Parts: sequence; structure tokens; C-alpha cells
Amino acid sequence: MKTTVMGSYPKILAGSGPSVRSAIQRFEKGLITPTQLFETYSEVTRRVLDQAFSANLDRTTDGQIRWYDLFDPVVRDLDNVHSAGLIRLFDNNFYVRHPLITGRLQYQGGTLAAWSREAASYSRVPLKVALPGLFTFLDLQEDTSYGNTDNLLADLIDVMRLAVRHLASTGVVEVQWDEPSLAYSSSSWSASRVQEAYKTLMDPEVEIEHSIALYWGKSSLWLDTLSQLPLSRISCDAVSEPRVLDILAVDKLNVAVGLGVIDARNVRMEAPEELIRIVEPVLRQQGDERTWIHPSCGLEFLPPDRAEQKIHLLRNIKLRINA
Amino acid sequence: MAKHLLTTSVGSFPKPNTLITARSQFRRAQISAQQLREAEQEATRQVIALQEALDIDIFVHGEMERGDMVAYFAENWQGFSQSLPVRSYGNRYYKKPIVENVVSLGNSVGLTVDAWKRASELTSHPVKGMLTGPYTICDWSFNAYYPDRRSLVMDLAQLVHEEAMALARAGAQYIQIDEPAISTRPDELELAIEAMAVVTHNLPAKTISHICYGDFETILPGLYDLPVDQLDLEAANQHFALLDLLARYPWPKSKELALGVVDVHSHRVESVDEVKAGIRRALEIVPIENLLIDPDCGLKTRTWEEAEEKLRVMQKAVEEIRQEDGLR
Repeated sequence: MKTTVMGSYPKILAGSGPSVRSAIQRFEKGLITPTQLFETYSEVTRRVLDQAFSANLDRTTDGQIRWYDLFDPVVRDLDNVHSAGLIRLFDNNFYVRHPLITGRLQYQGGTLAAWSREAASYSRVPLKVALPGLFTFLDLQEDTSYGNTDNLLADLIDVMRLAVRHLASTGVVEVQWDEPSLAYSSSSWSASRVQEAYKTLMDPEVEIEHSIALYWGKSSLWLDTLSQLPLSRISCDAVSEPRVLDILAVDKLNVAVGLGVIDARNVRMEAPEELIRIVEPVLRQQGDERTWIHPSCGLEFLPPDRAEQKIHLLRNIKLRINA
Repeated sequence: MAKHLLTTSVGSFPKPNTLITARSQFRRAQISAQQLREAEQEATRQVIALQEALDIDIFVHGEMERGDMVAYFAENWQGFSQSLPVRSYGNRYYKKPIVENVVSLGNSVGLTVDAWKRASELTSHPVKGMLTGPYTICDWSFNAYYPDRRSLVMDLAQLVHEEAMALARAGAQYIQIDEPAISTRPDELELAIEAMAVVTHNLPAKTISHICYGDFETILPGLYDLPVDQLDLEAANQHFALLDLLARYPWPKSKELALGVVDVHSHRVESVDEVKAGIRRALEIVPIENLLIDPDCGLKTRTWEEAEEKLRVMQKAVEEIRQEDGLR
């Protein structure tokens, strides 16, 4: 069994050390230079990657320490897309700047690849990048240009293919497409449309893994649809929908499964014995090599001390199960 | 003839630098609690003076004694502890409360009354009593004690009710119970409504609930059943798209709408014309006697200058419409 994290990590670390929060405050007051701010981001990112290594994770992100939010590097890399007003990110007390589309999407690249290259060059754990999934992007953007979802989706797929091609040369081994929008109760996208879009997105000539992460809702609704795609993993949120574990204990998927069994939105610490108990039936059905466990979503919704404890809980469970 | 398009603010104002320094000094035990209170009172004076200068109709006290709208209550009530800071957006963090025991008022009955009284003494305008609703306190806390959200929300509703009654007894004519989290789980709207009914039960004041940054489409028209006299909704942030939603349903005659017309999370100061355009669109949906005007949300994330300028634009837009339409 393998372990990973989902995306974001708190930008303030537990204990002493560099803090992105205070660096930004000091930067805004003119007390530190742009170089010092840049180096603080780098140092915090390295600490997150060190933590991933010490927790013996099999795959990690860079914690998205430089990212303002999930959309940030994508918006920076596209022409005619701007960071607009704050919107609540689903049912969280957490807000993102929604992408405002003012013209035809055009890929310029640069930011995401540069950030990823820096993280990959340091990381001792294989690195993945978690990006907004196509349908989460579509649901949360504001379109003032296309006026036609089909055309917008087609261009979005095209520019994201370019982004992935660019990423493949940075040392990143996996792109995780975050699709909370599909799992969330109000999703209205059809299975065929989702399948077709992701088929088109995944360029067979680019050597990089693709996975999809479903969280904050019902992952089970999409298992059949997504398991027919050439994905390396489908990650499910078993905290929002415990029933998905029962399904996965019975139905074997064509692809690896990720089990979000550690609650990334509550400080309560899970008992390792209980986690092992609920994971084992899935392990038996899906197999050791094709089962991952991880937090239910990014860890930025937790205070830093608890985020760190939950990462180490992953290590503990992995050791016990694999023993 | 009654005055139309009354103007107000949602709650918080930016803290002046002197108060930021005082709060920092207090945390380092360099000044006493009394000295901190004096700095808060001086800042409140500035908030009141600004509203007087701009000719705002219904005042707020600016929440100079509060850090965060949920953490403030959790810090003073029983049953909560504090987490390390958790980010809410950008470089904004809050110490998210952790519910670790049965919640109660402890020794903090009438927690908000003193600040309200001191602000009210500075003006002849009505000052709103400001509370955070039970559903939002629950939603923005980690629940590590109660077996389910419902039992926590309903316990909190009783506490917020007691606080609201204390404000009413002190003379507050307007009591605002903020519920920004209410749209996060449409399947819990009924719970939020039930809890608000506990809060506003027999409350002898005009009741208001401020709601922002939510997916209103999922909770309308059910939101109209929230037992308050006035809904205070954010609209400018999404270019008044909210109004298209509101237009789908008849506006309830018994309710007022306080419409957010300036974006509190943007440095850009809106033009008078764009604010007027938003108000004019709202007037097509809501009767003029039911419509009030305010910013999208609390102003604490803006600089003092930005907050002042945004309020000035808002007030000018309202005054121009009053003049153009021959209103008082």
C-alpha cells in the first residue's frame, strides 16, 4: 500500500522556522526585499518536501506554498484569464479568486513549470502537481467571452494539454486533476462528456501519469466513468462518503484507487486501528500495489501542527499495513 | 415621508494603526487591558466620526475589540479552545476555534453589550448590535466534541439568543446576526432556519442577517424563510449577478434587503455610476421602501482610506438617486 497527500499544505509550518505569512506582511511593509520573499517561499517549500520524505510518502506535491489558490498558476500561465473576485470554495470557510475569462484562452506558460521544476529538483519523493480539473474550472470560472461552454471546454483542454507537456520536462511524474465539482452534490456534467474531455486531455505522446481526485462529495458516482480512462489513480473522499469504501471492497477497478480516509478538515485525530480496519477490505479487493491512502483533501484546511500529525499518521498506518 | 434607501455598513472597519500597535503590545504584555480598551474606544470614535461625516444612516461600531467574527465569541465563551492559524484566503488567517466541550456563556453574559453602549453614546444614530449566528460559529469551528452538527448548532443558538436579548435590553434597536456560512450546505438550510428562530424568538428589535460569498442559487427561495426582518446580501463582488437570481422569485413583502454595492475585497474603488446602476437594477426587484444600501461585507480587509472612499462613493450614489427620483 502506498501513501500520498492531495495538494495544498499550510503555509505556516508548525514550530519555529520561516513563515510565508509573516514574510508577505514584512514584504508589504517594505521590510524585506523581493529576493527575501522569494527565498522564504523556497525554504518553506523545501521543508514541506522534507516532511514528505520523513513521512515516507510515495508521492507528494510541493504543498502549493507559492500558490495563492488552486487556480493561481493556471491563471498566470494563460492569456485572457484573470484572477477576479473571491468566491467561497464549495462548503469551506476558504475563498479563492475565480478565473475571469475575457478573451480566447492562450497558453503562455512559464510559472507552473518554473515552480514545479524548482520543487522537483529538490524533492526526494516523486513529485506530482495538483491542478484544477476541467469541470471544476468550468464551474467556478466567469466567462465574459466565449458564451459557449463547448468552445470554452475545447480550448481549455487544448491549453491544459500544453501545460502538461510543459510540466513533463520539469521532473514532475504525475498531474492530479482535482475535481471536487464532480463529487459535489450539484454537479450536472454527464458521464460521456467528462469521459470524452479527459480522453482528449491525456496526450499519449507525453510521458506523465494522470490521476483524478474527487473530494467533498460523492466520489462513488464517478467510479465507473473514470475507471474507463487511462488514469494512474482515482482518489476518493471516504470522509465525505464512507460508503465508497464498501463499494471498493466489492468492485475491483481497472485503475489504482486512492482512499481519502484521513479527515483533512477536522482536527480530530483518527485512531490507526480504526483506519486499518476500514482500509483492509479495500486492500483485499484492489490489491496492495493498487491501493493508496491519503488525506481527504489538501491539508491547508488544518492548523499546521495537526497537518503534520496527520501526515505522520499516514506513515504509521503504512508501516503497520505493509508489515 | 420616511427616508428611502437608508445606508449602513455590514460590521467591521479597518483597525487604525494605533490600535494594531496596541493589540500587538497587549499580546506582549507591554500594555494593560485598560490601555487596550482605551485604544479600542479611540478607534471606535474614529469609526463613528467617519460615519457621521459621510451621513450614513444606520451605524456600526466597527468591531474594534474583535479579531475574527467567530473566534471572538469562542475566545470568550466556554467549551472552545483555539487552533494555530488557518488560512481563509490570500494572506488572511484566523485561529479557528475547536469545540472541545459543551458550549456555554460562562462569565461572558452580555459580551457585546459594553462595546455597543460605548459606541451608541457617541452618536444619535442607531448603532447595530453585532452577533455571529449559531450555524456559522459551528461551521467555522472544528467540532471535536459534539456527536453531530445539529446538536452543536442548537446549543449555540441558545447562547446567541441570550446575547441578543442582552443587547435588546440595553436598548439596541437593530440586531444583526451574521450567517455567511448558511449557503454552504443547502441540505442544512432548515437547520440554520430553526436555529435562527431560537435566536430571534421574542427579540424586541429589528433583526438582520448578513450573508455573503455563497452559492445563493442553492438556497433560494428557502432563504426567505429565515426568521429575520432584513437580509443583508453581497452583490458587487459578482457584478450584481445576485439580482438575476433574486428576480426569479417575488421579493417577500415582509423582508428588507440590504444590498452590497461595493466589493470589500478589491482595492479598486467603484465609480458612482456603477454603484447607481446596481441600485437601479435592485429597485426593479425590491420595493424602494424595502431596500437599504451597504458594502458587500465588513470593511476590515481594506485600508482606512479605501474603506472611507468606498463608503463615500456608496453614499454619493444613494444621494444622487434620491435627488433624481425626488426622494428624501
